[in-house]
Amino acid sequence: MPPPSSLKQEFLKKWMMGLHICSSSKKNMSILERKKAIKLSADIALASARNGTTCWSQAIIVNASQDDQDKILVQHVLGRESERLMKKGSVLPLTSNKRIRSRKILRRSCGSIRRRARKTIATSPPKVVAISIAKKLIRKRTQLLKRLVPGGKFIMDEISLIEETLDYIISLQAQVDVMRSLANAS
Amino acid sequence: MSSRRSRSNQQSSTSRITDDQIADLISKLQQLIPELRGRRFNKVSASKVLQETCNYIRNLHREVDDLSDRLSELLASTEADSEQAAIIRSLLM
Repeated sequence: MPPPSSLKQEFLKKWMMGLHICSSSKKNMSILERKKAIKLSADIALASARNGTTCWSQAIIVNASQDDQDKILVQHVLGRESERLMKKGSVLPLTSNKRIRSRKILRRSCGSIRRRARKTIATSPPKVVAISIAKKLIRKRTQLLKRLVPGGKFIMDEISLIEETLDYIISLQAQVDVMRSLANAS
Repeated sequence: MSSRRSRSNQQSSTSRITDDQIADLISKLQQLIPELRGRRFNKVSASKVLQETCNYIRNLHREVDDLSDRLSELLASTEADSEQAAIIRSLLM
């Protein structure tokens, strides 16, 4: 399912707005400065298209607001919503209303658990071993995913994490599509 | 005795619901990722989907970075015959 064109249009509009603001505030930028402005405007535009309804979009907004200069850009692009969204506590931390699974992602493993697990693996039938290895892989990869999605470290349960990831990927695809069409426009 | 049995039934049925929810979300994820999209009818393991998701997000991040590089270079170009630079410049700045 390709990203909806409404999302791309919203992104493009906000991105252009951000870039105009950046260029009007600083006339002769170096290539590196311009690249940072392009990228920052793109990320803020993406986040504003969700208007703080997702954890990842709020994380981007909050992170950008930490810097005084970037904060101005956030305020302009987001308009009236910006004050509410820049406050860290309003959406994060995010937990799903649904039941939090008992098989937890955030289990700390200490040496004794690992030793016990190794003994269990040595004495268990292969199917049980395969399942426990699969669980370990899932845990490890879920941790990785939490680091890749903005604000992921605030998401407590698997279901919210996957929902956020789905929305984040669709948004990223829209961002890449629009930026690529512009770069190829010749 | 009967209360214990009914409690364990309730617990297993709720966890079955969340299992289904998670399986459903993972299959939605699978359809988004180009690497795995064609394999809809072969079951792909959850850990594989997560791995490919992480790789895909990293690739998308890298692409945004590359495209930002290209766009900033295009804008810096002062070639007289570079029409696309002029178009982009007028659009963006």
